[in-house]
Amino acid sequence: MTDLSPEHASTLARLLAQVAAASAAEDLRAIGREALEKGGVVADLLASIPTLPPAERKGAGQAANRIKAELEAAIDARKRELEDGALLASRKVEGFDATLRAPRVERGALHPITQVVRELEDLFTSMGFEVLDGPEIELDWYNFEALNIPRDHPARDMQDTFRCDPAGELVLRTHTSPVQVRAMEKRRPPIRAIAPGKVFRQETTDASHEHTFHQMEGLVVDEDVSVGHLIHTMKTLLRGVFGKDIEVRLRPGYFPFVEPGFELDARCPFCKSGCSVCKQSTWIELLPCGMVHENVLRAGGIDPAKYSGFAFGLGLSRLVMLRYGIDDVRHLLSGDARFLRQFHRIG
Amino acid sequence: MKISYQWLARHVDLSGLTAQDVAQDFTLSTAEVEGVERFLPHLDAVVVGRVLEREKHPDADKLSVCKVDVGLAEPQQIVCGAPNVRAGLHVAVALPGTRLPGDLHIKKSKIRGVESCGMICSERELGLGEEHDGIWELPLSTKPGAPVAQELGLVDWIIEIDNKSLTHRPDLWGHRGLAREIAAMRKRPLKPLDPSPLASGSGAATPVEIRSAGCLRYIAVPIDGVAPRRSPDWLRALLFAVGARPIDLLVDLSNFVMHDLGQPNHCFDRAKLAGRGIVVRDARADERLLTLDGIERRLSSGDMLICAGDEPVALAGVMGGEGSKVQAGTDSLLLEVACFLPAVVRRTAQRLALRTDSSTRFEKHLDPTLPAQAAAHFVRLLKEIEPAARVAGASADVGAWRDPAREVHVRPERVRRLLGVDLSDARIAEILASLDFGVSAQEGELVVSVPSRRATKDIGIEQDLVEEVGRIHRYGNIPTRPLVAPVEPPPRDEGWRRRMLVRAVQDRLARDARLLEALSYSFVSDALLEQLSLSALPHVAVVNPVAEGFSRIRRGVLGSVLEKARDNRHHAERVALFEVGKGYLPEQANARGEPREIHECAIVLALPPSKEQRSDGAAWTQVRAIVEDLLAGLGHERAVAGPAQACEPCAHPIVRAAFRSADGAHELAVAMALDPVFAQRLGFAGDLKSDVACAVVSIDALLSAASEPRGYQPLPRFPGVKVDVAVVVPDAVPAARCEELLARSGKGLVRALEVFDVYRGGVLPPQARSLAWHVELRADDKTLGEAEVQKFLERVERALGEIGCTLRRQ
Ligand SMILES: [Zn+2]
Repeated sequence: MTDLSPEHASTLARLLAQVAAASAAEDLRAIGREALEKGGVVADLLASIPTLPPAERKGAGQAANRIKAELEAAIDARKRELEDGALLASRKVEGFDATLRAPRVERGALHPITQVVRELEDLFTSMGFEVLDGPEIELDWYNFEALNIPRDHPARDMQDTFRCDPAGELVLRTHTSPVQVRAMEKRRPPIRAIAPGKVFRQETTDASHEHTFHQMEGLVVDEDVSVGHLIHTMKTLLRGVFGKDIEVRLRPGYFPFVEPGFELDARCPFCKSGCSVCKQSTWIELLPCGMVHENVLRAGGIDPAKYSGFAFGLGLSRLVMLRYGIDDVRHLLSGDARFLRQFHRIG
Repeated sequence: MKISYQWLARHVDLSGLTAQDVAQDFTLSTAEVEGVERFLPHLDAVVVGRVLEREKHPDADKLSVCKVDVGLAEPQQIVCGAPNVRAGLHVAVALPGTRLPGDLHIKKSKIRGVESCGMICSERELGLGEEHDGIWELPLSTKPGAPVAQELGLVDWIIEIDNKSLTHRPDLWGHRGLAREIAAMRKRPLKPLDPSPLASGSGAATPVEIRSAGCLRYIAVPIDGVAPRRSPDWLRALLFAVGARPIDLLVDLSNFVMHDLGQPNHCFDRAKLAGRGIVVRDARADERLLTLDGIERRLSSGDMLICAGDEPVALAGVMGGEGSKVQAGTDSLLLEVACFLPAVVRRTAQRLALRTDSSTRFEKHLDPTLPAQAAAHFVRLLKEIEPAARVAGASADVGAWRDPAREVHVRPERVRRLLGVDLSDARIAEILASLDFGVSAQEGELVVSVPSRRATKDIGIEQDLVEEVGRIHRYGNIPTRPLVAPVEPPPRDEGWRRRMLVRAVQDRLARDARLLEALSYSFVSDALLEQLSLSALPHVAVVNPVAEGFSRIRRGVLGSVLEKARDNRHHAERVALFEVGKGYLPEQANARGEPREIHECAIVLALPPSKEQRSDGAAWTQVRAIVEDLLAGLGHERAVAGPAQACEPCAHPIVRAAFRSADGAHELAVAMALDPVFAQRLGFAGDLKSDVACAVVSIDALLSAASEPRGYQPLPRFPGVKVDVAVVVPDAVPAARCEELLARSGKGLVRALEVFDVYRGGVLPPQARSLAWHVELRADDKTLGEAEVQKFLERVERALGEIGCTLRRQ
């Protein structure tokens, strides 16, 4: 940049001081006019160039241009300052406190069971499973007989069934398994389906028992479906639910509608060496499952000589409790807004 | 069920296996283990003492001061209050520092001025019995200073097995059955049981007659030469370990055989039968029997009885009678070992709420061949302990039982395919043989002989044997495999559409309208139905409710949500809830008897009461707006609101509206203010007095109604004109009728109509209100001017005038 002679430098300084002191757009325009228009300091300087010795002309021109540029910039800046001034004056705040809360936006929330059901539906539909629904009030046939649990079968005692008539022709379904046979009746293999829903057990309610809770049934029927497929699918399920690979353990479990039947335990996702959730065992009994009993396939009109299948039942209420650390199952169906509001997260 | 490790070891060699190993084996291959516990762990700290001297306590008549050799350098001085303490006895001594059951902490102390270094224990103090009259006298073979547990063979563990996981395994209700599992898993032999049959005595047989179809087999063995006495310590310890209280030898042995082989049995005092024969028959209604537990049971015709002649002496398979029980003075027995039908025993046990070890086992379809083995086992053990005992006469063995043993053909390929693991034919055969199945190969198949103990109910088909192979091979050894199937999305059927619709409803209400989603019981209380005036309607009801007055299944969802809204008002000013759920209508059941199922969504908004206390106040306005927004979001922007005819009884008689699809074919939703009478009844009263409105949206109707086509309106190219139209409308003329005429008067130019003011009173005539609309007029081809607006207003004036309305010109 051109160095200014002391004379020019003092001229520029004087002009800039005027700009800084200006208090209205009008004054700025006057300062600009005075300096730049005919008769002004800069105009005079430019006008004098032809009279100078050739060696000085270039320097004089550059000095004039510099003064002009700096002055114009200063005028612009000051002009903006003056314009903003009015707005700045409207920045009125008294005793502002960043920590002071505003009234909260009213929150809506989906029930945590709904949220978990949706996750599972999305997981399974992404693997080509259908999502089925079944009635809460169920025929004895679907709830028991077709599931290889004839009358007088001891397994009926384990179910604590709500009967809708003395004979129990109509019951509140004790599990989501009746959907298995309903699904088979209407479909031909390959069948891949899940069925979430409400189930009922006649038992006394306390912090860990409810007479009404939610389950999800799963059913796969195809040629050559094996225990290996079952284990793989359950691992996929757990990865989806807990967001990481979970070690599983299959051990014998007795349910009349599967053979072999299993209890699937998952390595406790909450601890390394035992915690209250897994009762210090590092295993959580998570879901009963097994290979569909041939009597059940037959009840659904499917030829067990050609097809095999597996089924599983996941306790949704329990899963929700595990996930959020809910200590009392009765909260789930309480409808208490203080409970429901806690599940507002959308991601 | 409690299983003793030591007891198992009577049947299979457990060397090298800890109780934890055994429990793990059961867990992974057999049944659910609930826990493993050391049996009486404090007996490790209690030592054998030999009483060297006993002297009377100088200051207390009933106390003795003993010098006891407890294996230490010096005999210890212990004060003892038991009458039977004497020199030369071997006793159990708890030295200072020992903890005993009941949180008893033994310390060195002074008793009436005499120092006492420990305590000489009774069996009760050690948790080993009820006897507390005196100290426990140990055999003289025990070594002073050694732990009592070790000296008496009481080092044991208790494995608790979940009964439910044995429901299908009648063979596992005794230690021998479980030992057989370990034998198969560990490839160790099961120790043989003496196979010799029951000896017969020379006396007369006791006649047995079965008159009930519920008794398959009845063996009666007369035994003489017995006397009630204390059982040997080993027997008492084993019974203790499994939670059975030792009583006397005969009762203990009966229990032992049940826990050993899984076969319930019963000892009658033969003298009490007074020579009468045994008759097994069905009870007569109102017959009575005093059972062993001292309770008089009123019987019903479904129960089965064991009788001496005609006198009931036992409730078959459940419990013996008090009158014929073994007691002091008994010197002859009749041993009953029988097989009863599960259904009969279960029914009685259930009806009388009398679940016993015996009934629990009979319910599982016990092996009908087992009674003969169990009877022989009992007699053999009795003679070992009581050499004078002998079978007094011929045993009776009657009944129409059949051996259920059968052959099942197994295709090894089927085993491999169902398990998904590559096991050789030989390995499959080996596993089955290890479980005591007979196995022979025949044309590529295995012919498996299923013994009677597994054949009653448990194993009947090939698939059952696949499980046997799988569980012994262990499921953890099966490689995982992904499912392989055609890549196709699930079908877009009605179920799929309903699910998507429900999701949309939930999202619109929870996310956009910011309501909370609740889920409720399907049960509704009688009280609630009463409050809602719904009691008279048919409801599906359960016959065994969890509580009185809580048996009925809801017909719709609204009641549950209203109830929850009321409860929430205790701690919230504003309550905004919804629920998507099902209702059941029994009067519309199908041919199979299934009640009609309806799907619906109920919305409830409860606000603090407004000052004006109007029924069509804020709650109503907001609910109505939510419903309209929901319907619009679901493709029913043009749904038509009209008066709601049939409605919930709790609906306000006037402030309510039904929303029908644009084609009029489906009623999609009903919105209503809660009638103040019902609000009061439901408990929205006093501090909870509220402005309540609600709505019921029919998922079923939404699913049937064709939604309006999706589309897009081009953005306007010319500006519109906003005109405010105020009209005096008689109450008899619905606002919708005015809007219809406003739209028609626009001749296509009316693009939007929005009510912005409603009022009555002032200069207005009675029974009329003033309604004011913002009307947007717009043309597609030009900017409208004042002339068009004036023409529009003139047409409006004329049209509205014809139905009795007056346009209010400014
Ligand atoms: Zn844990």
